[in-house]
Amino acid sequence: MSPTQCAQFERILEEQPDGPLTVDAAAHMKGCADCRLLWSDMEAIRTVAMEWGGQEVEPPEYLWSALRRQLESEGLIRGSIRESSQGSWLSAWFGAAPRWALAGASISLLLIAAMLAGYQKNEPNAAAQIPMRLSISVARPKLVAADLGKALDGDLKQVFDSLPEGNTVLTSSLRENLGIVDNLIAVCEQSVREQPDDPMARDYLYGAYEQKAVLLATAMDRSALEGR
Amino acid sequence: MKGRVGSVVCLRLSGTALVALFLAASVHAQVRRFERHFTVQGKPVVTVQNATGRIQVRAWDKQEVMIVGQRGSTNVEVDTEQAGNRIEIATRVISDNANPDALRADYDISVPAESELQVRSDSGNVTVDSVHGDMSFDTVAADLALQDVEGYLVVKSIGGSTICTRCSGRLDATSISGDFKLLQPTMDNVRVQTSSGNIFFDGSFMNRGIYVLKNYSGTIEVRFSSTDSFDVRATSLYGNVINQAPVVPDRHSMPAPRSGLAKSLFGTMNDGRAKVELSSFSGTIKISKRE
Repeated sequence: MSPTQCAQFERILEEQPDGPLTVDAAAHMKGCADCRLLWSDMEAIRTVAMEWGGQEVEPPEYLWSALRRQLESEGLIRGSIRESSQGSWLSAWFGAAPRWALAGASISLLLIAAMLAGYQKNEPNAAAQIPMRLSISVARPKLVAADLGKALDGDLKQVFDSLPEGNTVLTSSLRENLGIVDNLIAVCEQSVREQPDDPMARDYLYGAYEQKAVLLATAMDRSALEGR
Repeated sequence: MKGRVGSVVCLRLSGTALVALFLAASVHAQVRRFERHFTVQGKPVVTVQNATGRIQVRAWDKQEVMIVGQRGSTNVEVDTEQAGNRIEIATRVISDNANPDALRADYDISVPAESELQVRSDSGNVTVDSVHGDMSFDTVAADLALQDVEGYLVVKSIGGSTICTRCSGRLDATSISGDFKLLQPTMDNVRVQTSSGNIFFDGSFMNRGIYVLKNYSGTIEVRFSSTDSFDVRATSLYGNVINQAPVVPDRHSMPAPRSGLAKSLFGTMNDGRAKVELSSFSGTIKISKRE
């Protein structure tokens, strides 16, 4: 259960989130409680995503609006996805995304944030529908956030590297605001850790993640990656 | 004698060089200046995309859109297009290998008062004066100043601040670190959110109006007059709520804050005709009486 092996395990999950575990990784997971929990979190996310896809579970309106706004602004979807006859809205988003690797980061932020928020706004029985909510928001916040953070850091670096060189004001403003949002997320995560049952604390954490998604989307929009 | 002649020659040469320099600069400025006119009817939609530079939009009483601008250098080009009542203006960077000033373009745009505007800018100032159509702004670091505008206003900014003076209609605004100042607004639907910026609202709460102001840190300040009529719900999770409004317990059964931690104020002033929701994560909320 050495830290190196754990780091390798997390890297495998980052690089191949949907792929089968290698023999070594599976062996490590057997002996490592932390990594087993991380794996179960990821499984739970996958399961819920598939359930969404299979059962057409309606997302809460605020989440739908935020995602839709963002995806439309990124040009990843056009028109009404809900009217699409090709599978679910979730698979429609993902299938139609030429820049999925980057857009996925911001979607992940919103999904994780929505889970943290626990759908308490519109879904009184959401806990039953989202079984991993507690494991993410309480038991493993740091690990999941760190996992997501690593993936995002790579994406953000790629986006920031492709911002227009001549526009230093743009770049520095985006960087400065990224720092603000990261700090906000850290403070809000701390707040949720201290008060896991406080819905307002979770609301603010959700909002902070949403802000990071907006920032990432704006940076992508302004970068040379736009249109690729 | 020789010395005097030499001085005169030197002076003449210097003068000639100065004139030449001035003319050259003037010619360059003329080359970089542009002016375009588009005849429109009714309510045109004007779209401006300009990464760096000043954008100033004013209403006038002609059925024409006039664009007067100045490019920072020949490294940028200005594209304009008219399709019926839709006018599009875009600054295109030809060569990125130039200093920031060379990549800027400044615009003075005159539009019919009822025009709809869509502005996208990264840095530089955007000002709009007396336009009465719906408008949206997508900015990164650009500051925005709106004056005497009316319509549905949508502002999305990352770090730029917004000052809205005598604005009417409806406002949806978000920013990460930008401040928002609403001075003498007559708006019945205001939703403003900023993460680390301040929000200042100094105007009347209109009957049936809804005002939702939210931040994470910084200050939210609203000013009221003794005749204002509103329900207020102010909540700061880790900050303070400072209130000068003589509110009575809420008469309209607004739901109580869902947090046990938060500092909150919850009540009604006069008949509670408007709804005011102020929330902050760790900032200070001030409800102040207008002097």
